[in-house]
Amino acid sequence: MSASPLMSLGMKAMAASYAGLQTTGHNIANANTDGFSRQQVSLTTPEGQFTGAGFFGRGVLVQSITRSHDAFLTREAATARSVAAMDGARLSQLQRLEEVFQLGENGLGAATGELMDAFTDLANRPDDLSSRQVVLARARDLADRFSEAGAALDRVQDGVSAALRVSVAQINGLGQNIADINRRIADLKGLGQPANDLLDERDRLLSRLSEQVQVTRMEASDGTMSVFIGGGQRLVLGTQAAELKLFQDGSDPSRMAVALAEGSTRRYLDESGLGGGALTGLLRFQNTDLVEARARVGQLAASVGGAVNAQQQRGLNLQPPAGSVPSSPLFAIGEPRVLNNLANQRDGSGAYIGSVGISITDGTQLQASEYTLDETSAGSGSWVLTRLSDGRQVPVADGDEVDGMRISFGSPGPQDGDRFRLQPVSRAANGFAALLDDPLDIAAAAPLVATPSPANTGTARVASFTMTGPVLDAGATASIAFTSDGGDYTWELRDAGGGLLGLGSGTWSPGAAIPPAGDEINGFSLRLSGVPRNGDAITVMPTPPGAVAANNGNATALLALRDASITGGRTPTDAWADTLADVGVRVQSAQTSSTISQAVAQQTETQRADKAGVNLDEEAARLIQYQQSYQAAAKVLQVAQSLFQQLLDVAGN
Amino acid sequence: MRISSSNAYETAISQLQKRQAALTDAQERLTSGKRVMRASDDPASAAVAERALAAQQRSDAQLRALGASRNAMQLSESALGDAGELIAQARELLVAAGNGSYGDRDRASLAEAIRGLRNDLLAVANRQDGAGRYLFGGQGANTPPLVDGPGGVSYAGTDGQLVAAGGTATPLSIDGRSAWLEGEDPASPGTPVSLFDAMDRVIAELSTPGRPASDIAATVSRGLGEFDIAADQLASWRSRAGEALNRIEGLEQRVRQAKLDAQTERSEAEDLDLLAAISDFQNRQTGYDAALKTYSIVQRLSLFEYIR
Repeated sequence: MSASPLMSLGMKAMAASYAGLQTTGHNIANANTDGFSRQQVSLTTPEGQFTGAGFFGRGVLVQSITRSHDAFLTREAATARSVAAMDGARLSQLQRLEEVFQLGENGLGAATGELMDAFTDLANRPDDLSSRQVVLARARDLADRFSEAGAALDRVQDGVSAALRVSVAQINGLGQNIADINRRIADLKGLGQPANDLLDERDRLLSRLSEQVQVTRMEASDGTMSVFIGGGQRLVLGTQAAELKLFQDGSDPSRMAVALAEGSTRRYLDESGLGGGALTGLLRFQNTDLVEARARVGQLAASVGGAVNAQQQRGLNLQPPAGSVPSSPLFAIGEPRVLNNLANQRDGSGAYIGSVGISITDGTQLQASEYTLDETSAGSGSWVLTRLSDGRQVPVADGDEVDGMRISFGSPGPQDGDRFRLQPVSRAANGFAALLDDPLDIAAAAPLVATPSPANTGTARVASFTMTGPVLDAGATASIAFTSDGGDYTWELRDAGGGLLGLGSGTWSPGAAIPPAGDEINGFSLRLSGVPRNGDAITVMPTPPGAVAANNGNATALLALRDASITGGRTPTDAWADTLADVGVRVQSAQTSSTISQAVAQQTETQRADKAGVNLDEEAARLIQYQQSYQAAAKVLQVAQSLFQQLLDVAGN
Repeated sequence: MRISSSNAYETAISQLQKRQAALTDAQERLTSGKRVMRASDDPASAAVAERALAAQQRSDAQLRALGASRNAMQLSESALGDAGELIAQARELLVAAGNGSYGDRDRASLAEAIRGLRNDLLAVANRQDGAGRYLFGGQGANTPPLVDGPGGVSYAGTDGQLVAAGGTATPLSIDGRSAWLEGEDPASPGTPVSLFDAMDRVIAELSTPGRPASDIAATVSRGLGEFDIAADQLASWRSRAGEALNRIEGLEQRVRQAKLDAQTERSEAEDLDLLAAISDFQNRQTGYDAALKTYSIVQRLSLFEYIR
């Protein structure tokens, strides 16, 4: 019986214990390494040696170093992280957007209200230059706020574009790294042992990639991991990585779109199919939230600016000679735009063949939306307009009016397969400016005055007198004569020379306008307080030049815009309050989703880490465990050595 | 169940950060006094506050409009009061002119006195407010509305009344033609009586020497009648101005109340309930404190502490 088997047993036990200590040390060293999976020694007992007395054990063997890893939990954690990154990216952009929509005195709503209030003072003192200066100052302030809001929205878009560039660069870098690691893993595959730390590194890269864009992964038999995005577009295939690129959006060049570039072909990625990741959040924000925010600010700008301009142009200004200089608009408003899709048909020189134009016909009907114009079906030559805010579709032809804008086809008109994006209001705030500098330019006076006859026996007085349109004849006088106590009246319109221009009749009732809405006498709308009697008369005649300075008829009409439903069927105040609520709800719900998805991400990460991560107490215990087994194995060696020494001593004697 | 040490630290740190952020948030609210600082804090309240702010602005503007109207009506009312007194004086002089013992020269000097009163009345009729608007300019006049010409006093303003903005249609001026030139004679409706024409006639007739006593009596009686009609007309406009002032006062009260309501509404929508906020702040403070304490205790626990 020799001592060498015992020696060999001790050696193997020491090696196994040492391997345990080494692994534990590695674990402790990497306790704080992101994505590190705890490693452990897997030990095995070799087959015993047969003797006549049975099998003698041959000690222990280190079979492999394995990592504690759960593919399912790792994938779940990466997906959850992906959703959290998407929600987080959208939330942070929405919070920047919310800064544009200030509450209270700093907001666009208050600036609009202040302009309207300035019209009150103008009406009180139409001949006072200082009240006119105040109107100009308020108009400039409103214009500044609108154009600043437009510029701020542009800056938000710039921020999104920059963030998209960073995100795409990261995705490309990570994809390349994953392809490289795949190659090294495949090379090491032949060794028969798992390349634990490389696998960890790849999981870590995948997790970081998931933060940018949600991926699906598929492991091949050679150990390489292929990565797909957007429901099946390959980003990494084995050791090859494809490249993502940013392009101008085909429908609106100010926006960015992401495509996978392979050779000369581009495959655009639709954000609705991307699932998660910061890239998805950014695209979603850019293509929905930002577009709608722009449209809402633009709608307020276009409707308020348009209504004020229209009313201003109906009035008389104070430029000498009084009442004879046409009034010019107070504001410039950003023009409506039609954008050709980049894929639309072009001629030999690269210019688009077809064209479509829009013009605003009724600012009060404008909706806070963009539109697309598409062919109903290929080659049909008929066109359908889709309102993007609610998806409502209407068939349109050249010259049709929809939502306060007229659509006119160019010559030549839209071609087969062309697509257009219509932005009636989206740029309205950007181009918003106050045009007038001279206080005399403000048209506070109405071109006509209404006077009840002094001989009237009834109690009717003029409650309000507003110009609702251009006068048909600036020198004409309308006479309204009541023919019964029940409010029946006849009217006639005569020019300065007494020639009859028009006549008609109607019935007045308390609160009703003369003429009723839709009818026209000479571009005015008259409301009475009190009751007219049979035989009473009211004359509506041109404002005498001497009365222009003191007349406030148009100032009161400008002020009345405050309570008129001029912004998509609502008052400017209501429209703005709704906009604030809408943006608020968006941010709030994004906050909620972000909080939830962060919590889910943290939870799944904890589950993954609990399975794969390092627990220092456990490692401390293992350290003692392996230290003791190492000591025991050393003791075996010592015994074997002393047995051998005894044998030598016996032999020596 | 095992716990990953580094993940446990990460989780603990992120919890601490959340607690701290919540505490900072509560502090920000307490110091700003606003519950709704951004629309996302409470979208519905933000919209309510925005509408209330608009209502508040509107009330301010309305109050300014009413103020302008009240100013104009007060000045007009006192002008009409002055006019009434001047007519009363003219009337006394005219009654004196009917005295049978007076001679032509006496009547001529009375006529001269009445002319002085007439000119005073014209000055009253062309009175301006502080900012240069003619009180009796009707719907607008850029020159004195009552013009003294060879054919007597005529009206150069625009008929009707200017109305202040703000939805309440309170007057900013008085129709000078109606007030001064178109007194209603109940005996012959449709033929308006002009105060200045009446005075001019009286002055002319009293200055004419050698008229018989019966003619003088007729002059006096017609003049008195017309003076009374004109005085009635001015008094009726004075009472209209008074009514307008009453109405303005009532409106001002209502608008002030509306403004107060709007302020209250806005404050309720976006201001902080201090009591709730302080209690919330203390809650969060306690939470943060507890998190810090437990963290410091737990992070000291390690097997390595025991196996040295």
